[in-house]
Amino acid sequence: MAENTGNLLPVYMVADESFSMNDYIDNLNDGLAQLHDALLGEPMAAAKVRFTILGFSDDVQLRLAMADLRRENKLPQLVARSRTAYGKVFEDLRARIPSDVASLKGQGYTVHRPAVFFLSDGQPTDGDGWRATRDQLVDQNVTRAAPNIIACGIGDVKPQTMLDVATKPEYAFVSTGADLGAEIAKFCAALTKSIVKSGRTIGSGQPELVVERPQNFKMAIDVV
Amino acid sequence: MIEAFRQAYQWFFNGDPPPAQPKDPHERFVPANGGVYQSRNAAAGPPPQRQAPPQGAPPQAALPRTAPPEEPPPRERDPWDPPVVGRPVGTFAPRPSTAAAYRPDYVADGWATPRFVVRAASVRGYSHRNTGEPRQDDVAVAWHEPTGAVLFAVADGVSDAPLSHIGATSACRAAIGAMTAGLDGGDGRVDWDGLLRGAAWQLCEQARLSLGLPEIDREAAERHMATTLVAGLVRPGPDGPMVELVQVGDSSAWILNTRVPRYQCLTPTKFRVGDEVFTNAVVALPRVPAVEVRHGTMSRDEVLLVGTDGFGDPLGDGDNLVGDHFSDALRTVPPVLKFANDLDFSRETWDDDRTLFALWPYGIRG
Repeated sequence: MAENTGNLLPVYMVADESFSMNDYIDNLNDGLAQLHDALLGEPMAAAKVRFTILGFSDDVQLRLAMADLRRENKLPQLVARSRTAYGKVFEDLRARIPSDVASLKGQGYTVHRPAVFFLSDGQPTDGDGWRATRDQLVDQNVTRAAPNIIACGIGDVKPQTMLDVATKPEYAFVSTGADLGAEIAKFCAALTKSIVKSGRTIGSGQPELVVERPQNFKMAIDVV
Repeated sequence: MIEAFRQAYQWFFNGDPPPAQPKDPHERFVPANGGVYQSRNAAAGPPPQRQAPPQGAPPQAALPRTAPPEEPPPRERDPWDPPVVGRPVGTFAPRPSTAAAYRPDYVADGWATPRFVVRAASVRGYSHRNTGEPRQDDVAVAWHEPTGAVLFAVADGVSDAPLSHIGATSACRAAIGAMTAGLDGGDGRVDWDGLLRGAAWQLCEQARLSLGLPEIDREAAERHMATTLVAGLVRPGPDGPMVELVQVGDSSAWILNTRVPRYQCLTPTKFRVGDEVFTNAVVALPRVPAVEVRHGTMSRDEVLLVGTDGFGDPLGDGDNLVGDHFSDALRTVPPVLKFANDLDFSRETWDDDRTLFALWPYGIRG
């Protein structure tokens, strides 16, 4: 072991940037700004998190890469674009996460299993091909740093789809409200709490990923 | 070397912006000037400040703050401030412990027998100071005069168990009692398996009393008071001091060779070279696993260290800044309060409770 620089939890916020999000993308950007503001008030928890934002549509756009949110002046904006290609996301994560983990370990960090928070308002538009890629991503025999995936669906998403994305049934949620802007805000609030609570446990004797259910969301398993 | 740390990190105590991270991860000391934190798209300059929400914005859930809105003015470095190793934890005023019974942040002890010198300390972690949770670690040390043995017990209460600080204290005291009874017995041997079973029983009995249960409930004890434990003794022997110890959970023990210096871990730890990501599955009392008693002898150049993971995790294999910090601090026997202060070192993201017992295999006159 070289330098023992610190404990880190890589967190990936994967946001649907399909055109159907156009009316709500400002809610999402506002929610992420509030997440940033909250973590500035929790510097000890924030110090243990590296935050990545990926926007996906026909492709994946890297909006923020492994950032220490205490050092960011402002978070980048997500932009509504085109379709909802789930496969692109999992292809990206399959390459990105092992590379990120290797980079952090190369800097001497102790890296905890990454967490992916996935938010979509629609069914995938690229068929079922994404499933095999997703399965490779979460298989620890294939991807040693396989992440935990928390899937949150709003709007037209089917509960079963979120169950198929998430790594545990209790990590799959679907909204129950019709006001998607409000649902996105609740998702961001839950994401914030999850990051703060998880960050607090990192470095303790019993580190754990704490997943807060967004207010008014149901576990997908209860809806299927 | 401690003074070198203090000089290298004077910027912190002056309230200056932090220096840049070293480009070489093996670089031993962070340069004292220049640069900013590295982040892929962070603009250079001081870190952003928390901003008030705009008027008319929906109320936000109240989240605990690490520091009050008005920062105190920078003050001069005090010799009793915790030493900084690498990048420090941010400064804040510790919150009082929420434990019902008094639970001090620091416990420090130290004494010498004709054959050994002992230091022990247990300090509340920065995270618990920030959230108001009590110190969940504990330590107990005793001298068994007839045999000249020093007895020790170090425990780390499991975070999820709300009364684990009581569990840690109970386990330490039960272990010391069991070792004393063994040494006082006819053959002068300790029943290590019985020690762990006795500590587990003590934990369950303490849980029954604390929770007001009509009878012992092992599951309730585990939920409320689970704790790790390392217990053992060092006694004079013909080939040098002889160490015996047992371990439940991820608290551990090391031999520090002060001449090289180098750390040799005596028990399994959470860190395994080659692990892709960190994993942790804690075994804790009142569960009693199969016991493996570890034996060994010490040389005069060696220091026995027994600590919780709050010490062991940042130490790793010792080939790092934390290892340097302790090999320097423990090369000779430090004053008791300095020992505790060195254990309370500040290093970003390493903020768990820390407990450390150290034994030097020689006496000190006077």
